[in-house]
Amino acid sequence: MSTPIKDPIEGVDGPRSSAGPRRASQQERFADSGRVLNVFSHGFLALWAVLIVLPILWVVLGSFKTDAQIGGSAWTWPADWSFGAFQRAWDKGVGGFLLHTAIVLVFSVGLTMLFGSMAAYVLARYEFRGNRALYFFFVAGAMFPPYLALVPLFFMLKNFGMLNTYQGLILVYVAYSMPFTVFFMYAFFRTLPTALHEAAMLDGCSHTRAFFQVMMPLAKPGLVSVGIFNVLGQWNQYILPLTLMQKQSGTDPDRSVLTQGLVNLMFQSGYKNDMPALFAGMTIAMVPVLVVYLSFQRQVQAGLTAGTLK
Amino acid sequence: MATVTFDKATRVYPGSDRPAVDQLEIDIADGEFLVLVGPSGCGKSTSLRMLAGLEDVNDGAIRIGDRDVTHLPPKDRDIAMVFQNYALYPHMTVADNMGFALKIAGVNKAEIRTRVEEAAKILDLTEFLGRKPKALSGGQRQRVAMGRAIVREPQVFLMDEPLSNLDAKLRVQTRTQIAGLQRRLGTTTVYVTHDQVEAMTMGDRVAVLKDGLLQQVDSPRNMYDRPANLFVAGFIGSPAMNLVEVPVTDGGVKFGNSIVPVNREAVAAAVEKGDRTVTVGVRPEHFDIADGEAKSLSKDEPAGIAVTVNVVEELGADGYVYGTAEVSGEQKDIVVRVGGRSVPLKGDVLHVVPRAGETHVFSTSTGERLSD
Repeated sequence: MSTPIKDPIEGVDGPRSSAGPRRASQQERFADSGRVLNVFSHGFLALWAVLIVLPILWVVLGSFKTDAQIGGSAWTWPADWSFGAFQRAWDKGVGGFLLHTAIVLVFSVGLTMLFGSMAAYVLARYEFRGNRALYFFFVAGAMFPPYLALVPLFFMLKNFGMLNTYQGLILVYVAYSMPFTVFFMYAFFRTLPTALHEAAMLDGCSHTRAFFQVMMPLAKPGLVSVGIFNVLGQWNQYILPLTLMQKQSGTDPDRSVLTQGLVNLMFQSGYKNDMPALFAGMTIAMVPVLVVYLSFQRQVQAGLTAGTLK
Repeated sequence: MATVTFDKATRVYPGSDRPAVDQLEIDIADGEFLVLVGPSGCGKSTSLRMLAGLEDVNDGAIRIGDRDVTHLPPKDRDIAMVFQNYALYPHMTVADNMGFALKIAGVNKAEIRTRVEEAAKILDLTEFLGRKPKALSGGQRQRVAMGRAIVREPQVFLMDEPLSNLDAKLRVQTRTQIAGLQRRLGTTTVYVTHDQVEAMTMGDRVAVLKDGLLQQVDSPRNMYDRPANLFVAGFIGSPAMNLVEVPVTDGGVKFGNSIVPVNREAVAAAVEKGDRTVTVGVRPEHFDIADGEAKSLSKDEPAGIAVTVNVVEELGADGYVYGTAEVSGEQKDIVVRVGGRSVPLKGDVLHVVPRAGETHVFSTSTGERLSD
């Protein structure tokens, strides 16, 4: 690469020719250090990828093995590619857990995005007394681990009669995800040009219409990014549903979400473990998240780099 | 169609003690094209935004027709605005962008379609109606922004430096198109620009602002021929008018080796205020090269002032000479327009005399115009 750059510089007569070789050598040195850095960083990234992919692969493969195989020879390939473990996991209620999680997430993520972006929009776009204070109040929520509030939360929901109900968990999830959503969307709305909002107002939009028909579509990359983040975060919640989604009486229907269900799957089997079924359950739990992520991957990247290019 | 009236409209930004727009008073006639012009920070954009309803009016009133719109929200003012960066909705097609206001107003789809297509035909946008703004060039986006204003058939068009994002050639071309379109539609238009050439070429009348204060409102011709004060004299015209401070003498003012006749009362008034000098303004094209025939004060020297040529700009049809001259013991920069076939060389000395009747005299202390 360095030769075509070097040639014209050396061809020049006079004082500039003395600078030529030095610049070229500097360039080579720079390229050298780049190569060292590349080997190092790529090696590191490869190691990281292995660390992450290997356990996932192991879980997926484990769901095709038998108990004896998992315990006996951890590193062998499954002998028989049967979906029996998946069938057993499904029979043990993974389908129900999936449904419960889906019901909760559809509402909790939806409401989080709606309220979060509305709050962020108002905070980012309108000047009023206490604007900053309100913003910091929202963001301060992120500094506070929700697990510290576990006991008060439990009693609060108990008083509302919302233990082991969808609406109870949905409300808690919305509150849990609100700080980051507001924080992220606030920054996003700030980057959108003011003139668009003004144009919408001149075109006769009400504040509501300007938000839903002009600003929201513009904020789509940001909404998708933070939406996926919320889906992942809420999908993987364990402590909150464990505390708030427990059967309150014998007649109370079981509304366990996936994470709870998987743990139950482990304990249900008692002394006789059905590890392949557990692994199969975990695989089933992973699939929807992967699908969500992969289908929105492009928008996530757009969301993270939005505003850098006009 | 409607008139627009700024009645002592004032805008003070929070946290600032100086008004951004100070008691602005302009009456804009029905169908008129008024250009607000001034240096950056003069309050021209703020004035426009006050009319649009995007900026509060702290004092005074703004009327469109007979309606007082001072505190109405933008959507109730029946205006359309073209923004500097066009502010097109990136997620909508050109047709949707243009029809958005009508859609909100509840106009039926067929009618929106015909009006959008009509506007697109006028602006030569028909083939782009299905595209998103992203897929358009700068000039096309500008036309879409114009189209969005046109389809609404508002009472007033507001334009905030709509040409400043275009390249020089396209700007000149679009300038004429906008002016022509406005004449054709006959819609009252308020146009903001910092470019005095745009102001002079497009407007029926031009309003010059400086530091939030209105300096002068007049037709481009009058603005050029009779600037009301030193600021307008220096701002309007390119290259700028030569402004030279000279001592007052009997029967007029002494300009180099010539006398410039000035209204006696005006000079007397200036002298009364304690001024010993006045500022004379001469446009570059109003200098005549002295060829020995002009009347001179002293017989030994040629008439007028001696300008040493520093730079010559040849524009083809004519040339501008940038030189220095000694006036009242001080070196002054002087610009003189010369014919394109007879340009002097660098270092030459030109003797120039201001053409009679084409000089402007301003009070040095207040900047007000003294001559007629």
